[in-house]
Amino acid sequence: MKARRLTLSQRRQLAGVVFALPALALVIGLIAIPIGQAVYYSFTQWDGITTTWIGTSTWTQAFHNSDLWTALKNNAMLLLWVPIALGLPLAIAVLLHQRVAGWKIFRSIYFLPTAISWVVLGLVAERFFAYQGTLNSILHAVGLSGVTTNMLGSESTALAALGITFVFTMIGTNTMLFLTGLATLDPSLEEAARIDGAGRWRIFRHITLPHLSRFIQLAFVMTVIALFSALFSLIFVMTGGGPGYATTTMEFLIYQTGFSQGQFGTAALYGIILFLITGAVGIIQLRLIGSDK
Amino acid sequence: MSPGRVALFVTMLAIAVGMLYPFWVMISDSLHTQSQFISGSGFSLGSWRQLSAALPVGRQVLNSTVICSMSIFVILAVGLPAGFAFAKLRFRASSLVFLGIVSAMMVPLQAIVMPEFVNVTRVGLTSGYFGAVLVYAALGTPFSIFLFTTYFRGVPDELVEAGIVDGLGYVGALWRLVVPVAVPAIATVTVLQFIQIWDDLLVGLLFIQNTADRPITVGLAALASGRTTSIPQLMAGSFVSALPAMLVYLGFQRYLVKGLTMGIDR
Repeated sequence: MKARRLTLSQRRQLAGVVFALPALALVIGLIAIPIGQAVYYSFTQWDGITTTWIGTSTWTQAFHNSDLWTALKNNAMLLLWVPIALGLPLAIAVLLHQRVAGWKIFRSIYFLPTAISWVVLGLVAERFFAYQGTLNSILHAVGLSGVTTNMLGSESTALAALGITFVFTMIGTNTMLFLTGLATLDPSLEEAARIDGAGRWRIFRHITLPHLSRFIQLAFVMTVIALFSALFSLIFVMTGGGPGYATTTMEFLIYQTGFSQGQFGTAALYGIILFLITGAVGIIQLRLIGSDK
Repeated sequence: MSPGRVALFVTMLAIAVGMLYPFWVMISDSLHTQSQFISGSGFSLGSWRQLSAALPVGRQVLNSTVICSMSIFVILAVGLPAGFAFAKLRFRASSLVFLGIVSAMMVPLQAIVMPEFVNVTRVGLTSGYFGAVLVYAALGTPFSIFLFTTYFRGVPDELVEAGIVDGLGYVGALWRLVVPVAVPAIATVTVLQFIQIWDDLLVGLLFIQNTADRPITVGLAALASGRTTSIPQLMAGSFVSALPAMLVYLGFQRYLVKGLTMGIDR
């Protein structure tokens, strides 16, 4: 009896290994091994076919390359849009949570752009910022007929246009997260505070906001990761990284260095830097979702 | 309604207008010829009629559909057994392996795109769909396993054990007992991955070398980078490419919400 039970447990473990193996192979082959390769190639002169080991000089060279610093600076500047990419959806979620007539229809409309490719949203944003686009029409309509902007065409404003577009693309996802958070809030808490004479702002500040903190943290991490790794489509169709290097972020620099200039080794090195940045943010996220206690 | 409620309603209406702006731009700009668009007057369906000459929409929508279906098939085929294994058939070090796979969720493709591209090219998979399908599958699998494992933990051990004792075998237990109760989780993964893959540019751009095999999002981005592209045609193409993902979203909204907030609303 005892021996049989042991066999059953062993068989179950064996089945577990076999069942997990295909997924493991896929992740190792297409994610883990390339990370190792990228580290290796970052120390080489590499054009995709031949590799020459040149050691750490690639890294010292890279850190003396102004393109890398420009890209990192652009990413840092874009981080300034993160509070808006969180605050606006938070406000929208609070409005939706009032459950005004037809709020479910509004909810569906607010989330609709979430389904659309950032390629398409980038193309639409280009129409918005264009010389003959919506932004200038609005400016003229409100009486600023002397002001004509061309945000994507100017080095000083192109990154801001990208930031605004980024905020728009994140509204749906973040609103969805916050609304889910609000739905888990016990309404009797707010009710009790109201009876005690607390104003709306006090209730929001001392009850709603603390309750949402986990959701805000998660939204923050997701937004930052998106900022480092999901802007490619927007940049590709809106600016191509330009004018100059004005909108070249890390991920776009990797693409340009590797595929436009053919410097595979340097691009791999930039990839490692991006990996370290998102990895640091990712560790925070793993803590937050606390997947496996 | 109190004045406050009315103000609230008006504010929400204004936000709705803002969120619908992309759709309005796509539709209104597409209803001109290029010359009408430049002069700013007149309407025409001409850009729609000539759309397929600039952008082979039929073929590219088909490509997108095939690539999405194949990728989702692979994700489910490897993700369901793995999720079952991590939740119910725990083996030595299985939680460590699980953690490793889930961590892969944090690796952006751009970070490893150079070696990935060279590897996939070297094994000759960039002609045809398979290279892109493999990359999409690898990128989508970690999250799917996380979701399936979490979901399967809620399935009672007794159910699985009873199935084994009844001689179903492990494959049978997964297929006949676990999968049927996991339909919501499967739907969530399918909808989420469909939208992600349909909307993606980078993988399709790099891992599909044949122009004829391009998915619609890549075709659209390529059309946009052409210098002589007509804007009304580009907007018509944008609308066509956005439509399938929008319909899937509208039909399966609740699964999408569930997937995005998975793991936090326990």
